[in-house]
Amino acid sequence: MSHSTVPRGTTEAQTSPQDEDGTTRTPKVPAPSGKGGRGPRAKKAGRLPFGIRWRRDRTLILMTVPALLLVLVFNYVPILGNVVAFQDYDPYLSENGFVAIFESPWTGFEQFERIFADSAFWHAVRNTFVLFFLQLVLYFPVPILLALLINSVVRPRVRAVAQAIMYLPHFFSWVLVVTVFMQIFGGAGIIAQTLRRHGYEGFDLMTNPEVFKYLVTAETVWKDAGWGIIVFLAALSSVSNDLYEAAAMDGAGRWRRMWHVTLPALRPVIALLLVLRVGDALTVGFEQLLLQRQAVGVDASEVLDTYVWWNGIRNQDFSYAAAAGLVKGAVGLGLVLTANKVAHLMGEQGVYKK
Amino acid sequence: MTPNAASSSGPSRRGFLTSTAAATAAVAVGSPLLAACGGGGQEGRKEGTTSGKEAAKILPAFVASSVVTPDIPAKNGSAAGFTRAIPTAELKTSVPKTLGSGGKLKIMSPFWGTPPRGDNPYYTAMNKAVGVDVTWQNQDGVTYDQKLGAVLASSEIPDVVVVPGWNLMGRIPSAVNAKFADLGPYLSGDKVKDYPNLAAVPTEAWQRGIFGGRLRGIPMPAPYVTDIAPLYRKDLFAKKGYTVPGSPDEFLAWAKEATDAKSKLWACDDMKWTAFHVFGVLSGGDKALWWNLEGDKLVNRIETEQYLEALEWTRKLYAAGVVHPDAVQGESGGDAGNRFTAGEVLVYNQNISDWWGKTAEQRTQNADFEMEAFDYFGPDGGDPTLWAVQPSNIFTFVSKKASEQQIKDLLALCNFCAAPYGTKEFMLTAYGVEGTDYTVEKGLPVKTQQGINEVNGAYDYTGNPAPYIAYPDLPQVSKGMVEWQQRMGAFTKKSSFFGLTVTEPTRWANLADDFEQLEDDVVRGRKKISDVQQAVSDWRSRGGDGLRDWYRKLLDDNGSAD
Repeated sequence: MSHSTVPRGTTEAQTSPQDEDGTTRTPKVPAPSGKGGRGPRAKKAGRLPFGIRWRRDRTLILMTVPALLLVLVFNYVPILGNVVAFQDYDPYLSENGFVAIFESPWTGFEQFERIFADSAFWHAVRNTFVLFFLQLVLYFPVPILLALLINSVVRPRVRAVAQAIMYLPHFFSWVLVVTVFMQIFGGAGIIAQTLRRHGYEGFDLMTNPEVFKYLVTAETVWKDAGWGIIVFLAALSSVSNDLYEAAAMDGAGRWRRMWHVTLPALRPVIALLLVLRVGDALTVGFEQLLLQRQAVGVDASEVLDTYVWWNGIRNQDFSYAAAAGLVKGAVGLGLVLTANKVAHLMGEQGVYKK
Repeated sequence: MTPNAASSSGPSRRGFLTSTAAATAAVAVGSPLLAACGGGGQEGRKEGTTSGKEAAKILPAFVASSVVTPDIPAKNGSAAGFTRAIPTAELKTSVPKTLGSGGKLKIMSPFWGTPPRGDNPYYTAMNKAVGVDVTWQNQDGVTYDQKLGAVLASSEIPDVVVVPGWNLMGRIPSAVNAKFADLGPYLSGDKVKDYPNLAAVPTEAWQRGIFGGRLRGIPMPAPYVTDIAPLYRKDLFAKKGYTVPGSPDEFLAWAKEATDAKSKLWACDDMKWTAFHVFGVLSGGDKALWWNLEGDKLVNRIETEQYLEALEWTRKLYAAGVVHPDAVQGESGGDAGNRFTAGEVLVYNQNISDWWGKTAEQRTQNADFEMEAFDYFGPDGGDPTLWAVQPSNIFTFVSKKASEQQIKDLLALCNFCAAPYGTKEFMLTAYGVEGTDYTVEKGLPVKTQQGINEVNGAYDYTGNPAPYIAYPDLPQVSKGMVEWQQRMGAFTKKSSFFGLTVTEPTRWANLADDFEQLEDDVVRGRKKISDVQQAVSDWRSRGGDGLRDWYRKLLDDNGSAD
């Protein structure tokens, strides 16, 4: 069952339209001929001669070329720029910033030594991990719960309205989100002013470094949790009603059905998103934190991304920032490999499989 | 953050306006007073400065212009004040024949506000009058530093680039020297006389345009009296019967009394800049100004007692709860000027041009609104010690790839825009086309809505006359501003590197970058004064002392600006 839900929920866009005819529901044995077996697992048909596979798949391959080009130009080519991490890079040395890479002096691992000796860097790393774990615990489960909630609403009208309201904040910019929070929880916000009018002390949630990590998480939940339910709803919609009926026939109540039918159906998606999230662990928000930098100070708000931005773009120390970015990338890679391994051990697919 | 709303509303005039925008932007970016300077050059000099005889060789000659006698002549480093509108019939001509060749120029410039469409009547009229087909590439002034770095690193640099001094951070100064043309062959000595309005630009402003041993920048002249003023709500002070505080202690006592959080009223906004002035801290505007020769030793502003005292006093204000909570929040808390006009704070500090900007803005919205700048007092309530700011801090550069014709076209444009008050060129540049962008009512030029939308900043930085303040619609404000500058100018001293554009060695260029964040932490009570002392001692050992020796040598070799 887990096999049938993953492609439904998450990989539909990448696989062929033929999936719609349901052939991937029995993917264990690839079809011998061109018809049908074009799901993700068709790759296993490696025994077929290349010519045949090419003729069979060329249309699809052609269709991916534009996307591949974009990925190549905007994701892979810029990776080469990371060489400046081993230089003392000055983009203004020559005709343009690209040529300047060839003219900047090499410095080996000097930038890395600087980074590892910089207490501000380690501070940023610590903040990043604290925020990541906090968001993992407090943010990650929210969309799942919301999806279950929405899924249990039967009346389509109520459901549509609730979904729209939950999606909406996703389209707000961070400036707006921060402002909304400020108007409510700030020192001159609605709550503080109401308290004052009734003779109590006001409070200011926005400028308190101690609660900042919770504030940031709350902002993230409000902005993005609604949007996050989409994937889970898609997975839920693919659960066959037969299963619920069968479970009900066997005498399973509401909770048992959720435990034994709904949640297992969500498991692969949850595992996948968890792996992706862990791979992204070091990216805990950028604009959001930069905006509130002054409000709580650098000690509370500096994370790796803002650290790289501050040193690279603001202070123009490009090589240093590139080196910090590389360190971040290396740690991120390690994390995603580990998480993927764990997912495999748990019997899930994860992001990829050998 | 929106630029100063005022700068795009009401019948306006550039000059000061532009510095408002500049200050607002700086506030928004959060690094207002931090700026390195450029020097170096294709011909060798990468760092240091140029002054004295060497500078005299390349500086343009000065030929004063006297089209209209100012109602309040400049004094003590102030701007000249004009309080009277000049009738259209009496306007003089300062550019008798079109100097431009009809060629094309692409100009990248910061812009605070919403740029109008490119083919509007104002731009068309300006381009026709100057004789140059200018295409503007306006970039958001608030994030201009980020764009600038990328543009200068590409091979497609626009023909002309406007660079504010506070964007000259990190490696930008070396980029300026590497990418922009030497204007000396067109302007040095008597050559500038081909462009009479540029010849009337004060020499001390031109001196700032020397980058890397060459005259590269066309400066926007500015008064050397500090541009930051403590502004207060005169109307609300009168209503409550407050008198303006005359010492730091009085201010604190008054602030505690005036704050009424229950009714959403706080005495003041963030007063850090005011504190720096009150306690006589060396100017933070330009990194070279951070240094001053005291006795036999160069001292940096962050090493001074005054610096710590100013932070401590500001901290007391925060701790007393008299600062608006949104100001505590800083950048994301919104604009101080809006809290001021909304009556949520009674005092804030900002570029003095807000005096005119906010008054003009509120005239239609709040008839009772009245504001003024109060005079800085000293730490004990006596006379303050103020430090001069640079006499120019926005520059126009030409790409090295530009042709000779393009350079001449730019100079034609700058000459036109630098026309003084009382000329036809000034009216066109500042108010646009009569009948379309402005109309004359009761002898005063008043911008139409179209004028407000179109004449809002594009031609503001490419050429400016000697510093002036001219708001004929609010003569009492013009007068107040100039007189405030003159009173403060009497207390203003020039530090050792005043007027010079200094390029620090890149290895030390980022040394003091984090002090502003530290200041903000300290005044808000998140860090202690002792943390500042620790940071200063780190700064010394990480290169501050080396930088001191370097500046010392510069001073010994070059002397100061004069």
